[in-house]
Amino acid sequence: MLYLELLLQGLIQGSMYAIIAVGLTLVYGLLRILHVAHAGLFALGGYVGLLIFNETGSLILAMPLAAALVGLVGMAVYRLCYQPILDRPPYVALIASIGLFIAMEELFRLIFGPYGLTYKNPPLQAYVNLFGIHIRAAELCMVGASITLLGVLSYLAQNTRIGVACRATVEDPEMAASFGIDAIKVRYLNFFIGSALAALAGIFVSLLSNLVEPTMGGVPSYKALAIIVLGGLGNVKGTLIASLVIGIVEAFGTIYIGNLLDRDAIAFAFLIIVLMIRPQGLFAEK
Amino acid sequence: MGIYEISLGTIVCINIIFAMSLNMITGFCGQISLGHAAFYGVGAYCAGMLAKAGFPMYAALFAGMIFAGMTGLVVGLSSLRVREDFLAITTMGVNFLFLGIVRQQDFLGGELGVSSIPSHGMGKIGFLVFVMILACLVIAWSHMIKRSWMGFAFDAVADDEDIAQVLGIDVGRYKLVAFAIGTALAGLAGGLYAYFARFIVPDDFGFITSITVLSMVAVGGIGSIAGVVIGTLLLTLMPEMFRFISDYKLLIYGLLLFGVMRFAPEGLAGLIKSFVGFICKKRAAL
Amino acid sequence: MKKTGLIILALLVAVCMSGFAGASDTVKIGFHAPLTGFAASDGKSASIGAKLAVEQVNMSGGINGKKIELIIYDDQAKPSQSIPIASKLIGQDKVVIGISGSYSGPTRSAAGIFQESKIPYISAYAIHPDITRSGDYVFRTSFLGAVQGKAGAKLVGEILGKKKVVMITLQNDFGKSLAAGFKEAALNFGIEVAGEYQYSIKDRNFGSIVARVKAHKPEAIYASGYYFTAGPLISQLRASGVTVPVIGQEGYDSQKFIEIAGKAAEGVIITTSLDRDSKNPETASFISEFEEKAGFKADMVAASAHTAVMVAADAIKKAGSTDSVAVRNAIAATKLKVSTGTIRFNKLGEVVKSVQNQVVKDGLWRHHSIIDDAKILTPPEK
Repeated sequence: MLYLELLLQGLIQGSMYAIIAVGLTLVYGLLRILHVAHAGLFALGGYVGLLIFNETGSLILAMPLAAALVGLVGMAVYRLCYQPILDRPPYVALIASIGLFIAMEELFRLIFGPYGLTYKNPPLQAYVNLFGIHIRAAELCMVGASITLLGVLSYLAQNTRIGVACRATVEDPEMAASFGIDAIKVRYLNFFIGSALAALAGIFVSLLSNLVEPTMGGVPSYKALAIIVLGGLGNVKGTLIASLVIGIVEAFGTIYIGNLLDRDAIAFAFLIIVLMIRPQGLFAEK
Repeated sequence: MGIYEISLGTIVCINIIFAMSLNMITGFCGQISLGHAAFYGVGAYCAGMLAKAGFPMYAALFAGMIFAGMTGLVVGLSSLRVREDFLAITTMGVNFLFLGIVRQQDFLGGELGVSSIPSHGMGKIGFLVFVMILACLVIAWSHMIKRSWMGFAFDAVADDEDIAQVLGIDVGRYKLVAFAIGTALAGLAGGLYAYFARFIVPDDFGFITSITVLSMVAVGGIGSIAGVVIGTLLLTLMPEMFRFISDYKLLIYGLLLFGVMRFAPEGLAGLIKSFVGFICKKRAAL
Repeated sequence: MKKTGLIILALLVAVCMSGFAGASDTVKIGFHAPLTGFAASDGKSASIGAKLAVEQVNMSGGINGKKIELIIYDDQAKPSQSIPIASKLIGQDKVVIGISGSYSGPTRSAAGIFQESKIPYISAYAIHPDITRSGDYVFRTSFLGAVQGKAGAKLVGEILGKKKVVMITLQNDFGKSLAAGFKEAALNFGIEVAGEYQYSIKDRNFGSIVARVKAHKPEAIYASGYYFTAGPLISQLRASGVTVPVIGQEGYDSQKFIEIAGKAAEGVIITTSLDRDSKNPETASFISEFEEKAGFKADMVAASAHTAVMVAADAIKKAGSTDSVAVRNAIAATKLKVSTGTIRFNKLGEVVKSVQNQVVKDGLWRHHSIIDDAKILTPPEK
């Protein structure tokens, strides 16, 4: 019973990681950059969603609006920050991204204050009783949303022109270009989708804790990197599985070896062990 | 010179040694490390504990250096297995693992850290001079390595491992040497920090510290000795320079990291070089 | 055009005047707190609390005819920043007393510098046990973790009469020293600790810990944390159907905790040093004036910083000079009524005062009980 509940909690945490990490892995697959500022967009999503909700009282309105807005910001980040330095060594984009992330965190603090914001009437706080396990509506919605969104995305990637174009560009940019695929458009699309997903994750996380703080992107900023590496960098399927695996490892780890290592150390210890056995991550591209 | 200037000077010199040590691995040998603070921490803890056990300063510092270098050698072994971004995230994981372990060790003070580290007994000015001499030695030594055969081999590994292999360079060995030297120097910097602060806690050696030192190297100009010194000076003294607008200090820091990478990806050293080149060209044209 | 010119001129004159006034006869008190970075919220509360104390002292005539000047620096809660700041406060600003409105790491590092220079230093709310052990010039106006942990054990075991307890411990110096104090005193009150689970200060999702705690079926939960971890923790505990009492500490002590946890916060009891229903005029005036100045309700951090400045001002007044030995001796002899109660210091420089237990009732912190049991409150002398 306890094991089942821990497994469930791991899956909940994992599905949150999944929505964040998929955007990151899309960006990596396309551009080979570690996009740390993705976590800043995650926090921005939390803020925008909360502000819209507190104004209108409608989550149905807040979610797509926040996702779309943050998606646009993500496109702007690509255009203004990454595009000019793509031909540089990878650490250049990495450090630029870290700088951007620090600046974003500080901007949130300066604009919205250091104490964090809370929902006026937090929605989705009811819970259902599944065989004695209480699950909150927000948790259910998060798992449901991540399955639906990622399912729809993979369907689109397989069955639409633009989806095929995206996959082709990731596989072989030059070949794709020779077939007349506009690589620039594909990049914008990827940044839009990835950032919108991060924003949704930000809203779900803030619903679970009823708190949006300037530093809420801190953990995802590095944990998501670990997840996409574990999943094989740029591999979407691998990233999804890695998210769930890390979620479950953490859920059990914090209980059974929590007095030896903290949550982060457990996740990274697992990552290092896997990488030493499989240097290309769980699901290597080639 | 008041105690304020002395303490700033000491921190700058310690940071120069620390940044130089990372430059050895990342700048010279091209292996990105996102977990360099772990070795800084190993040196600090080792020196701090030995100092408390009654060992003289030189012995404690030396032991910290050796111990950090040995840990670095072990971590360096992972660089033989994983490459590039995988290596970056692995080293980041090492940092989190180090913190996670230290936090839970009662003999290392756990969360409370190590306090009452005995004084170095050479007075504030004496210690500043001592650290300054060490910093100069490290700079000189870096210079020597850069110009030696080893420096050439490092360069080849950094450029392209496969070609270096073809040229008959034992890539693995040189990577390990770079890791051993770099991490040992980080251990030295850490030991000096322990004597300077006389109090260390795990959080001093977290991921943020790793990012800070990487920023010093990258902002200064990766691989350039003069650049790294300038970058370290700038980023260490920046909080002091902007003390009067303390609310925006971190924001400016983040924007600076981003701005330098975006507009001068080769760091300040690159900026100066191209500026000098521009002047020379103009002269030649005249 | 002429008007703006006049205004600018007037402003310039005003600035110059105030500059001159500041230069000649003020008493300088140094203050460092994390104004940027992850701990900025506590830094903001602490600095407003300290500024309020300065205003109150200056309004009532200052110290021996001189006004207090508070010099505030941002340390980002980093030890590597607080060392140069301490040196600057001592060497350049020549402060009479230094006050930390920051966390343990930066405070412990700065304490060493102040001790070496023989300038009195007061830690407002940093709880590391080694801070006051830096030497005889270092004092603390908040409880040691161990003292508060023991008070928590008394609250659980004696006042509430609960015997089977699960601990949820924040993994930092604050949580760990609370846990140590709680476990030490638990036996005396017949408390059985059924389990202890740790979380990191960055965690906001406690699903697995909640599931494990629930399986223990405890009578009470002793959970350490700050309002931003405790808020989500309590609401998640309640949502999963855990209804037993939860006991927290001064880290919860902020209106923000109640805002985050909402209805789940009702009935949570904490050990702290600020009594919202106090009849004590110092406390009552602090609570109302703080809310007016800051625009939000007072918290423990603000009250502690306020207390530290009040202690400093009182000591300089009593010493009759700014001589550091006289001021140090005056602090050591402090017996003062302030916003956090009546306080004095022991030989080590640790504060001795009663623990105020507060409970959440109808969305507000209210009085629950007081612990003034000397056996528990006495901090170590060494």
